[in-house]
Amino acid sequence: MGKKETTVRISLQTLRVLEAFLENPTQKLAGAEVHQRCGIASGTLYPILLRLESAGWFVSQWESADPSSLGRPRRRLYRLTSTGLRRASEVFASFNRGVLA
Amino acid sequence: MSQRNERSAQPELDGVNHWLIHHAACRAPESLSSRLEEEWLADLESRSSALSKLSFAVGCCWAAMVIVNDFPRSRVPAVSSAVAASSAATANSAAAASSVATARGLIVLADRNFGYFSLRPGTLFLIVGIHAALFCGVITTPLARARMATPTKAQNQVLSALPLEIEITDFLPGK
Repeated sequence: MGKKETTVRISLQTLRVLEAFLENPTQKLAGAEVHQRCGIASGTLYPILLRLESAGWFVSQWESADPSSLGRPRRRLYRLTSTGLRRASEVFASFNRGVLA
Repeated sequence: MSQRNERSAQPELDGVNHWLIHHAACRAPESLSSRLEEEWLADLESRSSALSKLSFAVGCCWAAMVIVNDFPRSRVPAVSSAVAASSAATANSAAAASSVATARGLIVLADRNFGYFSLRPGTLFLIVGIHAALFCGVITTPLARARMATPTKAQNQVLSALPLEIEITDFLPGK
């Protein structure tokens, strides 16, 4: 009660991103891994990730490994929140209902 | 031969890719700039071929433009660091994370409502305006030509005040 959530524009690409996270909702994925699973170009992928993060569906944090030991910059890892999991499940449920109806 | 050329061009292409990503990150909102640059440089390393890296870097430029439109004055990273700190402290507190996320959502919602004339309505307004101007031009130009073809009231007025009978002899020389 009293909670407000921002509405997220659900496009086909957004659904594909959510699908990649819903395969294992507890895992953390970097943008590169999401790209490998969905095949979405970087120009579309990162705005979607930021949009979903700003809407509270994702949280992100830097990977814990040391960049000097990795030999590359740190990756940003995204994870579904409980809100995101619930909302994504609702979206896919409504989507399936719409397709089957 | 082509592999050797590709290898020799690899450092130059890497430089171009890094420059493109840096340029794209600079175009992004200031609060997101450093975060996006580091994130994109890390994800760039996961690409194998030179063409894939170049397309990734060009895509980042496009992503920056979209992000500028979506998050004109974003506060995502500040809240994200708060979320990261809270998740490090209380790893299993999903309720706290969702409440912080809701607060972040409200902040972004407020930001979006503040800029009520965004790019999309502006583009729509421009397209409608151009169509309206073209429509008016197409309609009014033939009407204007038709008006020019028909004589005005002044041009076809009958001059009834002139004397109808004029003595020609009045104009003869030597009269």
